[in-house]
Amino acid sequence: MLILEASHLQKNYRSQGKTVAAVRDVSLNIAEKEVLAFLGPNGAGKTTSIKMIAGLILPDAGQVRIVGRDPHRDACARRSIGAVLEGNRNVYWRLTPEENLTYFGVLRGLSQRTAHQRAKTLLERFELTEKRRSLVQTLSRGMQQKLAIAVALIHDPQLLLLDEPTLGLDVEATQSVKRLVREIAAEGRAILLTTHQLDIAEELSDRVAIINGGEVVVEEPTTELIRQFSNAAYTIELEHALDSVRLDKISRLDVVIKHEKIYVNQLKLVYEILEIVRPLPFVQVVKDQASLEEIFLKLVQENRMKC
Amino acid sequence: MSLFLAELKRSWIQLSRYASEVIGGVVGTTIIFYGLFLSTRYIAGPGFQFGDRLDGIIVGYVLWALMLFILGDIAGGLQQEARTGTLEQLFLSSYSAPVVFLMRAFASLLLNLIINLSILALIMVLTGSQLSFPPTLFPPLLTVLLGAYGISFAMGSLALILKQVQQLLNVFQFALLFLFTLPVETWTGSLRVIGWILPMAPGAGLMRDVMARGLDLNWQTWLIALLNGICYFSLGIFLFRWSEKTAKRQGKLSGY
Repeated sequence: MLILEASHLQKNYRSQGKTVAAVRDVSLNIAEKEVLAFLGPNGAGKTTSIKMIAGLILPDAGQVRIVGRDPHRDACARRSIGAVLEGNRNVYWRLTPEENLTYFGVLRGLSQRTAHQRAKTLLERFELTEKRRSLVQTLSRGMQQKLAIAVALIHDPQLLLLDEPTLGLDVEATQSVKRLVREIAAEGRAILLTTHQLDIAEELSDRVAIINGGEVVVEEPTTELIRQFSNAAYTIELEHALDSVRLDKISRLDVVIKHEKIYVNQLKLVYEILEIVRPLPFVQVVKDQASLEEIFLKLVQENRMKC
Repeated sequence: MSLFLAELKRSWIQLSRYASEVIGGVVGTTIIFYGLFLSTRYIAGPGFQFGDRLDGIIVGYVLWALMLFILGDIAGGLQQEARTGTLEQLFLSSYSAPVVFLMRAFASLLLNLIINLSILALIMVLTGSQLSFPPTLFPPLLTVLLGAYGISFAMGSLALILKQVQQLLNVFQFALLFLFTLPVETWTGSLRVIGWILPMAPGAGLMRDVMARGLDLNWQTWLIALLNGICYFSLGIFLFRWSEKTAKRQGKLSGY
């Protein structure tokens, strides 16, 4: 079931008498249990797109449907959205986590009692129970971010918008947020994730959309995108450098040898080489895969050259 | 009702947790008035009797202080929320933005009234003023509050669109002080009509009548004050809705 359907979103701003196109053409769909990584360089139009989806910026053209409802016209649609927006505190620093959760629960349409119960459950789940009565301003950055995600989930939304959720977090807090994102998606929610940490996007996302210059330049399942950009090449890493006899035999094949590593561009050669090196110990045989970072840079640079 | 109670709880927690800020506000507002009072007495000489004029000025001054608290709640609150990054979360609510801010303002009204009564009590003790508190002070107070909320929402609209309106708010505070201390109830002829049109002025005049001069409430004038209050309140809400739409169109809901 599709939770988010955004089609052909456009947004222009007037600045010093000129019209600047912030978003030219963005269409995104996300189904339940799906994480879409929405990537792009700074100023590409990510935040504007997210805010148009959330109903915080009115698009000049195009439409947004969240569970079939337009967040710009139907207040009920906003009940299906949870958001953690980048650069924002998202919560009140002078209140405690428990007070924040209960307050935002009521603000999102829950009764006081339900909000309190949900707050208790989320505090436990996000490992914040011990800190439930501490002022938010005294919590670590990681805890504040976990609280912001918990607040975004207080009213049990179907769509969660996460704008840079791991920005500025240490390794442990990042791991914790990643685990939560996986769990939240597995519950049946759709997640739109933007991040500049492409390893995190690669790890968490089911699909990737890359935006550049206000347009989506590619949208593919993450594994498919990586497969498309990966070569059919392998690296065989040995524990020690080759002896002269084996080196001579392998050099006659179409391969590149550098110290303990042999670079092979055909699968059948991998087996031939393994026969030659037997019984020498080897460390690993790895299929070369493009990383999301390489793909991202390639696509963004290609797009810049076109412009 | 749930939203009102949640806002009341939030206001109370913040007020009680940061009581020093409130006490500072009460003491500061009282000291400013007492300073003005002592200066005026010094200029007028020791034999001068203020009579009900002092009481009238006290009523105007305390209403001005109440107005500042309401303005701080709505226009000041909007600026603060935009700065700290919680404003967009408020606009994600399933309640409309005017409802959220109105509930917020109503919830803190009770607390603001208590704070204002403290200021009033302190000023009365310091100046020896003899104000009366008949039940008839409430109908004109209602009209003043309607106007105060309307003006605050109008200033809130500016805060939404322009963001940096602190300087404007500071200047506006003095215009409001002038407005609340103007004795419009004593004006006659065409000036009287102007007095009816000025925001909150007819209600403030009626409050001076009943609290300082010991007069009965003039219900005919009260109807004019009520109309004045309703007009400014409606204008404020209208402007707020308009500025919300404009801010969403221009992508200005956040960002400072």
